[in-house]
Amino acid sequence: MPSTVDRRLDNVYAAIADPTRRAIIQLLTRGDTTVGDVAARFPMSFNGVSKHVKVLENAGLLTRRVAGREHWLTLEPEPLADATRWLEHYRDFWDASLAGLEEMLADEDAVRQTPASRRRARRR
Amino acid sequence: MTSAKSSAPTLVVRRVIPFPRERVFDAWLDAEKLARFMHPGGTWRATVETDPRVGGRFRITMYHTTGAPEGVIHTGEYLLIDRPSRLSFSWISVNTDNRATTVVIEFLERAGATEVVLTHTQLPPNQIEGHRKGWSDILAGVATELSS
Repeated sequence: MPSTVDRRLDNVYAAIADPTRRAIIQLLTRGDTTVGDVAARFPMSFNGVSKHVKVLENAGLLTRRVAGREHWLTLEPEPLADATRWLEHYRDFWDASLAGLEEMLADEDAVRQTPASRRRARRR
Repeated sequence: MTSAKSSAPTLVVRRVIPFPRERVFDAWLDAEKLARFMHPGGTWRATVETDPRVGGRFRITMYHTTGAPEGVIHTGEYLLIDRPSRLSFSWISVNTDNRATTVVIEFLERAGATEVVLTHTQLPPNQIEGHRKGWSDILAGVATELSS
């Protein structure tokens, strides 16, 4: 049974799966902008852009505020931070495990060599 | 929303280990060895059971110095065993929200040493194809925003 977090992350992944929506997010990292401004930058209809904006809004990746006729968009990066927390955890996890693997192999050789070197020492 | 599959995050970790590929590879299929080297982040002890064949399962329990006494359980299934060059398994734990993710490990020959390239994706094994693009390029732009 998927948790609420799962479903929210699924929405985030779905939202950023589309190149236009990724471009909209990139645009918003530079500051708030209006739906009209966004539409002017992409080779698609205002309605088309509007649909993409709605998907991002539903995923919690942006918020909208209406000022007169303009709809201003603000990036909300927190859901992306949730999605990247997983990556951060496992980066450390696997880094440490690979370091542990190297250390273990080195220890194996050290143990293996000890009796032999002792024998050599005794022979002297 | 099937498009969710196409942009799940992917993590790549690399390390050159100064031992031959066979030895580095075999350690991943050996319960006793896994228990010795899988000690990430505050793990003081690990117990491991493995059934190292394609379709076989493993179970790794890690006990953390500050964590729950019952430990953190990681389970998975071996998906591909191609000694000594490639290994793949599914990976499930509380840190993957208990859903199946996929780990692929490549062992590359580097003049007697082994470069290990470990790729961990949040995608389940059956959805692994064609997803790579999307996640990494977005992070570059958003990282600035997150840290400000």
